[in-house]
Amino acid sequence: MKLKRRTFIKALGLAAAGSFLPGCEREVHHLVPYVLPDDEIVPGVADWYASTCRECQAGCGVVVRVMEGRAKKIEGNSEHPLNQGKLCAKGQAALQGLYNPDRIREPLRRPEREGRRPFEPLAWEEALTQLTERLRKVQGPVIMISRPLSGTLAELVSTFMRAIDGELYFYEPGADLPLRAASRAAFGMDAWPHIDLAGSDYVLSFGAPFLEGWLSPVSLGIAYGQMRQGRPLTRGRFVQVEPRLSLTGASADRWIPIRPGTAGLLAMGIGQILLAERPSALPETQRRTYERIYGDIPLDRIAALTDIPREELVRTAREFGSAGAPLAIGGGAACAHTNATESLAAIQGLNVVTGRIGRPGGLRFYEPALFSGTQSIPWLTERSLGELAQRALSVVLLYDSNPLHTAPPSIPLRRLFEQADFVASFSPFMDDSTSAADLILPDHSPLESWGDHVQPTSFPTAIVSLSQPVVTPLYDTRAVGDTFLSLAHRLGLSGFPRETFHAFLQDRWRRLLSEQAGTHGEEAFAAAWAHHVQQGGWWGRPGRELTVTAAPPPLPHVPATFDGDDQNWPLYFHPYPSPSLGQGRGANLPWLQELPDALTSAMWGTWAEINPHTAQAHGIRQGDIVRIVSRYGSIEVPALYYPAIRPDVIAVPMGQGHQEYGRYASRRGVNPQSILAPLFDHRTGVLASAATRVRIEATGRPGRPVLLEPSALDPGHELLTIGKARSSP
Amino acid sequence: MKRSVLHSVSLLSVVGLVALAVGLLYSKGTADLAAQDRQPIPFSHEFHAGRLGLDCLYCHRAAHQSPTAGVPSLQLCMGCHRNMDANQPGIQTLLDHWTRRQPVAWVRLQRLPDFVYFTHERHLANQVQCLDCHGQVESTPYTPRAATYEMGWCLACHQQRGASRDCITCHK
Repeated sequence: MKLKRRTFIKALGLAAAGSFLPGCEREVHHLVPYVLPDDEIVPGVADWYASTCRECQAGCGVVVRVMEGRAKKIEGNSEHPLNQGKLCAKGQAALQGLYNPDRIREPLRRPEREGRRPFEPLAWEEALTQLTERLRKVQGPVIMISRPLSGTLAELVSTFMRAIDGELYFYEPGADLPLRAASRAAFGMDAWPHIDLAGSDYVLSFGAPFLEGWLSPVSLGIAYGQMRQGRPLTRGRFVQVEPRLSLTGASADRWIPIRPGTAGLLAMGIGQILLAERPSALPETQRRTYERIYGDIPLDRIAALTDIPREELVRTAREFGSAGAPLAIGGGAACAHTNATESLAAIQGLNVVTGRIGRPGGLRFYEPALFSGTQSIPWLTERSLGELAQRALSVVLLYDSNPLHTAPPSIPLRRLFEQADFVASFSPFMDDSTSAADLILPDHSPLESWGDHVQPTSFPTAIVSLSQPVVTPLYDTRAVGDTFLSLAHRLGLSGFPRETFHAFLQDRWRRLLSEQAGTHGEEAFAAAWAHHVQQGGWWGRPGRELTVTAAPPPLPHVPATFDGDDQNWPLYFHPYPSPSLGQGRGANLPWLQELPDALTSAMWGTWAEINPHTAQAHGIRQGDIVRIVSRYGSIEVPALYYPAIRPDVIAVPMGQGHQEYGRYASRRGVNPQSILAPLFDHRTGVLASAATRVRIEATGRPGRPVLLEPSALDPGHELLTIGKARSSP
Repeated sequence: MKRSVLHSVSLLSVVGLVALAVGLLYSKGTADLAAQDRQPIPFSHEFHAGRLGLDCLYCHRAAHQSPTAGVPSLQLCMGCHRNMDANQPGIQTLLDHWTRRQPVAWVRLQRLPDFVYFTHERHLANQVQCLDCHGQVESTPYTPRAATYEMGWCLACHQQRGASRDCITCHK
């Protein structure tokens, strides 16, 4: 186009006029001093407060940078033995939980169950009176569904629920209960083992997403770094077995694309070869038991069922057997099948066969940290949630748990909320489940609350971390511990002598410190308390390692069952927790939404990962909307070509598709759980999220996946060209 | 021919004027050139620092330990004014703020652009006096901007005192 002078001048004039606009608003900067100065605050100088991350169950130590009373940045606490100064993206993004514009800012009540009238605010006094009256006049059972609690809060809430004859349950989607059950079956230990990755030199992982969000991802990440690069002469090897290459698998030396549901079978095959070819550390009787169970199915049959060539199987087994410190671990979506516990028991059994239990680089068990009285609190699984929904409940209390989003609609959970006489939630955010409540008594943000956290997995050091408020509460919310104390006092329950949760917490710590550190007397306690608050918790005593003596025989193999036959439903559906959003908890934090997925560079939405061959066979182009249909429903998502997935598997990340979860998450993306069949790990009842078969249909419509690097998915992308050039002669 | 020259000259001058105006407006946004010292309370440095002889650090007490000098809290003002004559309208306003527990929103007069890292603490520790940069505040009732606070002015002093002139010292 030829630019005429007249056009140029017009454009210039417009641009000049436009540039005046920001200047029109005359900015006056104010200096607003404190009315009353705060002794701890020097303007312009940051204070760092130690606390504990509450974004997942791991409980990493954090330090929060606070300037002029506002939290500005969260980092790892370098003195904390678990995360040693490191912190993951979820922990960093917790800051946006504090400042989130969609936080519930005051108590709310729903005027009527039916109809669409919005929630109405009410005063705390009134809200507490309402709930107290409900609890006082209750006729039927009272249950509480909570995210897994720890330490003093767990003790307070469980004491309260016992005092009112209620039932307290923990619920966490994708809970690694099969792993615990497998440890119980394989070693007789009811605990999550300590995985000594750092000391291992050959890690055979059956889908364990230990670099994403599994168990304690930051400490496992540190250990992984030591395994690979921390020793001068040994670089540990790492083989990942899973149907879809995960972010963790992308770091592996070798990926074995196994057929879904057969991880346990592969472990059996490897065990068979190990027992046949190598002298075993096992006593004779135990050895025979393992030989019988691992040798149940012939190797060729295992190779056919797992879709792994016999040579590969033998090679892996020999590598594993000849390594100095081999380690077999399993978990995650690759083990989310109906036979999860048996598979994991077979996988963990490989460590028994090679004598790696309680040895450096193997699976180790330490005496549980103190405060462990909460271990008896039962966990809900998707199966038991479904059973609970069949009962006539009187009052349901809900805390920071969102089963209506994380459990598939094929389990009729909504009944639980609809048929209960009264539902009260203590959650800080309006989510799919809390929006079904009659009364909401919102909790503080973790950055505004006191609390403590007991290390949940076995760990070489006993750790009890402390949380402290780093800012004054922004809104008219109340720490859930204080809410429960108020309720206890109003109900006239005995056993709650303290007025505030802070005092309750201190009482607990008085006991801990007098037992563990010999701190007696109020003065000594005050000094020790200040020290531990400043440090971020109590630790130091090395955990006593437990000797695994009783080794019951591993569980016999059970084939995984799937929903749908392979004729009409030819593909395996593989939903997996998003590395950043998890199962949806992080979806309301924009930093996590905009964090590009490391493998596809996708963000702010949901996508389906599909093998290019499968896609092309169905006429699906890169980025097209694909319809994924199961017997329970269908979802439509943009398809992304993903070469590192078996052609008979289609994977979709979880975490999105909320109906209600604030402005950043609501009605964004789709929830893959919504088409899952109600199939469970048959021993523990945890949802077998990878047990649904689906078919796909091309819609022909182009989708709009948000990608940081759209070109990376282009078949003509130069990285792929280099790969091609190398492989051609 | 003549007409077209005239045309070009006028066009260029218009563009130049526009650029100047825009530049001025933007520079105002980043560094206040000389905001009017119209404060909500007619506070006088001359009276407090000059006639009463208060030390600068008595009120701006963060200066020796922080990048910012800080503005005194209302409580600090009231430390003296609580027991004093409240007939003057300015002091009356101060007492009103105190009664309502509402801070005084002072107008900021000195401000450096965001790309400059400046800290009071380091300057005071190196024996730079307040008046070296802020002028003789104890002798004027209002607080004019005592210097340009531009890079050349900073560097002149850094050179004179043998302080660092690395870019990264101030532009981190």
